[in-house]
Amino acid sequence: MISYLIRRVGTSIVVVIGVSIAIFVLLHAIYPSPARDVLGLRASGTQIAAWNKQNGYDDPVIVQYARYINNLLHGNLGFSYANNQTVLALFQERLARSVYLSGVSLVLALLIAVPLGIFQAVRRNSIGDNVATSVAFVTYSMPVFFLGLILIQVFALSWPVLGFEASQSTSLLTVMGDWHDMLLPVLTLTLITVASFSRYMRSSAMDVLAQDYIKVARAKGLPERLVLLRHLLRNACLPMITLIGLSIPLLLAGNLITEYLFNYPGLGLLFFDSLGKADYPVMLAYTLIGAVFVVAGNFVADLALTAADPRIRLV
Amino acid sequence: MRLMSLRAAGVFLAVAGLAVLSACSSSSNSGGGGGNGAITLPGGLGSVPAAATGTEKAGTITWALGPGTVPNFIFPVINSANNSVYNEQSFSWDMWRPLYWTQNGVTPELVPSMSLANPPTFSNGDKTVTITVKSAFKWSDGQPLTSKDVLFDIDMIKAAVKESPSNWPAYVPGHFPDDVVSASTPSSSTLVLSLSGPVNPSWFTDDILSYAGPTNPLPAHAWSKDSVNGPIIDFTKPANATKIYNFLMAQNKSVNTYATNPLWQIVDGPYKISAFNATTGAFTLVPNTAYGGPHAAKMSNFQGVPFTSDTAEFNAVKAGSIDIAYIPQTDVPQIPVVKRLGYNVFGMPDFGMNFVNYNFKDTTGHFNAIAGQLYFRQAMAHLEDQEGYIKAFFFGAGDPSYGPIPAYPQSPYLPANAATNPYPFSVADAVSLLKAHGWTVTPNGTDTCTSAGSGANQCGAGIPAGTKLAFNLIYNTSPSIIGQQIEDLASKAKQAGIEISLSSSNFNYMITNYNDPAAPANENKWAMEDFGGETENPYATTFGLFNTGGSTQIGDYSNPTADSLINASIASGDPSAVKKEASFLTANQPAMFQPTPDYIWAWKTSISGTPESFENLTQYYATPEFWYLTK
Repeated sequence: MISYLIRRVGTSIVVVIGVSIAIFVLLHAIYPSPARDVLGLRASGTQIAAWNKQNGYDDPVIVQYARYINNLLHGNLGFSYANNQTVLALFQERLARSVYLSGVSLVLALLIAVPLGIFQAVRRNSIGDNVATSVAFVTYSMPVFFLGLILIQVFALSWPVLGFEASQSTSLLTVMGDWHDMLLPVLTLTLITVASFSRYMRSSAMDVLAQDYIKVARAKGLPERLVLLRHLLRNACLPMITLIGLSIPLLLAGNLITEYLFNYPGLGLLFFDSLGKADYPVMLAYTLIGAVFVVAGNFVADLALTAADPRIRLV
Repeated sequence: MRLMSLRAAGVFLAVAGLAVLSACSSSSNSGGGGGNGAITLPGGLGSVPAAATGTEKAGTITWALGPGTVPNFIFPVINSANNSVYNEQSFSWDMWRPLYWTQNGVTPELVPSMSLANPPTFSNGDKTVTITVKSAFKWSDGQPLTSKDVLFDIDMIKAAVKESPSNWPAYVPGHFPDDVVSASTPSSSTLVLSLSGPVNPSWFTDDILSYAGPTNPLPAHAWSKDSVNGPIIDFTKPANATKIYNFLMAQNKSVNTYATNPLWQIVDGPYKISAFNATTGAFTLVPNTAYGGPHAAKMSNFQGVPFTSDTAEFNAVKAGSIDIAYIPQTDVPQIPVVKRLGYNVFGMPDFGMNFVNYNFKDTTGHFNAIAGQLYFRQAMAHLEDQEGYIKAFFFGAGDPSYGPIPAYPQSPYLPANAATNPYPFSVADAVSLLKAHGWTVTPNGTDTCTSAGSGANQCGAGIPAGTKLAFNLIYNTSPSIIGQQIEDLASKAKQAGIEISLSSSNFNYMITNYNDPAAPANENKWAMEDFGGETENPYATTFGLFNTGGSTQIGDYSNPTADSLINASIASGDPSAVKKEASFLTANQPAMFQPTPDYIWAWKTSISGTPESFENLTQYYATPEFWYLTK
């Protein structure tokens, strides 16, 4: 177990370093010098050269990378010249907002999708199952942007019971308490996620229902409630654990489209804006932290699977 | 079509509108408006109501900040990386005014009443500039605004440039501030600058002292220090100036303290900052009661409300939650809905030029020689259906543009040949030009040079017989109207036998890679490119862009006549030099000039003010000091 953990941590570090090198090299291949993008069309050659020198972009890529890693190890993610703030400050301002939006939606989606999936599996081909399946297909095939627009039009403009934009407060507590403005963005994300998760859950539950141990439990006269809770739920949820692990990077990414649509400045939008402004430090930090979240998400999912299913051993 | 009808009606009302505007301008100097009827401007979309009479009320006016337009820089000596019309004209200039104000409604011209100094006088063969600061303007802490404050700004610019040329966006080596040989303040109101060479007074006043840099007087009595609690030090010593500049820049980087830092509370403009959200860029400005310039009787608070997308912004308009908002180009068809919701709407292109660049260095298929021929560039201009583009792609919300100075908004420097199309859309004319110069034209095929040589009826020097008229054009995918125009152009060109291979890219990649001075290794990879355009200075010289070896050249256009005229625009005493320059370039077509879409604004009917203060929104200027509530 310990050796497995050490191996996984070691592998994860290698993956993150690999990602950082790949991103660094790719960025420099596409935009060898961000000065032209940053300073604009009217910048003269003199200004371009001076800015590159000032920001170290006139050094060889390997030197730039070494400096970046050195700064990173000292907790310095760089300075965003497009936002006139440190990258760390930018992330601190937005991380909690993104985590909140994605996190709440994820939790709500699980709370709805798990029982819904089980219900559909148990009542397979019933009217309820067919209705839920149809709704899931419609929602799943609908782009987030479109769903959000519809919800805004219906619940904020035509029938103005909810806010047309997310909470604009920078205090997370205020954002959390502002259900009037947060309900639509949370609902948008939740509906899309439920559509996908409930299908996985239904499929998984159907597989489990066909297993011998379920038949044995029923044959032994175990009440149906206990069959579902004790035997079906735990086993059917195993694929969901992997899904949740893969969803962890969303906590960082926020949900770009939802942030874009509901005027909610989170990390996803920060990254999107940095692409347009060739803001290297933000792009690098975001991608690197994204890689860390992906690796960590998978790692956590593996550990959770082991805890949930004793048959799985970490070796 | 409805919009087109409105625009057509606008043309008929233009003369009357101009008369009203003219009267309003003269009565209020700045931008004041007046009269009973709405004002319709040539080239404009919709109209601007006259200022409402009756009780003026103060309150809070909210103003939409689009994605990527939120302020993030407060120190008026802005660096190139953060230089934008949003940081300056819509934020900083509400607190620290440039020495000379050069936006009168939609017209880029000097507005004496809003300028902090009397018009400068030039002497000694235009090598000495004397600036007299007005006594009406004071700092918000009660201190007088003096000539030393202007000198302080110039010394800050010098310190900035000394550290890095990229620290001041208007810097061109050898020009301002390098050309300031000496500066003196013989009195508290007078500043005398001795320059190393003659300058064109209009250029120096409109662009250097007011816009491009710009020159903003700074409160030397409070800012001339190198630490928070340090004493005031002599900024005229270069070593001190560097320390002061570094201190102020460090303060500027503390974005979270913009609203609380006492330094930024000392202003000479109509507003002071009272709140700033570093995460979103939202801000609140409150009236500076000591402001000495023209303003409404009761000034309102001014609140910048950021939006993450045009969609989110337009939702706010539809919900009626924003007072002053832009209408995204894609939402132009919804303008009637916006009006029904209780908004006034007005649009006008910003003062700038959209153009497709020629690469005069691309030797692929002898394109450098082909592009060097005036007849070819004229033929290309004939293939551009500007009116059609405006109707089909801009939903009627835009204006044609034929040269470096756009037809609209109308500049005092607009030459006659740029007011109407010198090369109207006509495939037949394009074909005639090509045939008359030695090309065998194959409609829907590819033209071939069959008469090589440099004679009047031959293809031109450097174009051998058998050369095909085929080349590539790379265009920016955003906004989509660029691609739409380019695809139409390629289609029309094909009818004339010109084969244009299209490929798309993005703005960042294009300006980095398809730019001869910036990426000389790629100079044979592109023949033409369209990344969009540029906003221009009030005195719209193309110095830097179209002069040989200009610092912001893209495709290496070079023409001795253009060089001479451009030089006259910045260094001669001829007040109409830039008009001559623009006239020549309009005829010579160093690039393919394109129509410009309207920049459209909506404001609630419950807000009124001078018409010019709403018109200038289309030019990225916010002058909320003229606005008041009527309900």
